Amino acid sequence: MRLILFLALLLTASSALAAPELYRLQPDLSSVGFETDFGPDRITGTFPIAHADLTLDFAKVGASKVAVILNAAGAQASFPFAAQALKGPKVLDTAEFPEISFISTGVKAEAEGATVSGNITIRGVTKPASFHAEIYRQQGTEAGDLSHMTIRLTGAVMRSDFGAVGWHDMVGDQVRLDILARIERAN
Amino acid sequence: MLNDATRFGLVSRVIHWAMAALILGLLILGTKLNTMQPGLANLWLYGLHKTMGLTAFALVLLRLIWHRISPPPAPLGPPKAWETRVAKAVHHLTYALLVLIPLAGWAYASATGLDIMFADRWVIPPIAPVSEAWENGSKLAHSVLTKLLMGLLVLHVTGALRRAVKGDGTLSRMIWKAQQD
Repeated sequence: MRLILFLALLLTASSALAAPELYRLQPDLSSVGFETDFGPDRITGTFPIAHADLTLDFAKVGASKVAVILNAAGAQASFPFAAQALKGPKVLDTAEFPEISFISTGVKAEAEGATVSGNITIRGVTKPASFHAEIYRQQGTEAGDLSHMTIRLTGAVMRSDFGAVGWHDMVGDQVRLDILARIERAN
Repeated sequence: MLNDATRFGLVSRVIHWAMAALILGLLILGTKLNTMQPGLANLWLYGLHKTMGLTAFALVLLRLIWHRISPPPAPLGPPKAWETRVAKAVHHLTYALLVLIPLAGWAYASATGLDIMFADRWVIPPIAPVSEAWENGSKLAHSVLTKLLMGLLVLHVTGALRRAVKGDGTLSRMIWKAQQD
């Protein structure tokens, strides 16, 4: 897969696309990974993406919008107790709050990629969060073909900000997220 | 196999020493769990502690049932001597703690909401609701009662060794049945 930096893509695509384009998620090709510290080790895992609305405006980056809903109750982790602890009442409490959502409030182009700012809701608590974004053409597509794209969002949240404080003496507060969303143009 | 008026039978002696070994192991392991940095490499120790604790709990219940079936011999020495009274009190309190400590540990593990595994294979049903209050309360009870048990065990072992030095047969009849024949 050839990497096209976000800004470079905007420059080449802006003449061809002047309007926001609606994209839909390819859920089978997408994943949301997380990791956090566990003593000298790491706990890793994934969340299924329940729903995603993506509108990309290659001419006017700030007009792009991202809304993603994760299925927290379907989370998987690198060992069984971690998944159970993650979904239990002391961390995500998925019985009460089965989803995690992120709704962007702004997208800003950077020298490499972009910064997507927005509000993330975990355990019913909404806090501002920002992610670094990079966008790629999908493997097998022609140069200039923007019908199938891959967006990678990386960032971190502090789980204590959302009241997800269980096992704080064993498990790190920072949870690093690595979202790989493969999307296709809706029309 | 059976206890009689002056001697402990094989069943009582085996249960006693199996519990002694288990409790010593549990105290060492529990102390380690309190001080170690948890990680993937030592996560299994928590499961081992639960398995050993549930085994000790089963053994104390078995022992209490066995004592109903085959009552243990009365303590040696004059019944009204202070040593005999202290020994009886220590025994009764120790039995109470050997029931309460694993129950508190079981409740603590239940209240965390995580599965309680026996021998890393069987899921043991919870006995307490998933609740922070239950978790904190039962954890505190498990810890405080365990420290009390440590003190009682020091008394128990000291008393047993003291009687062994005096040669009254208290310790030896818990080791060899033939000693009293």
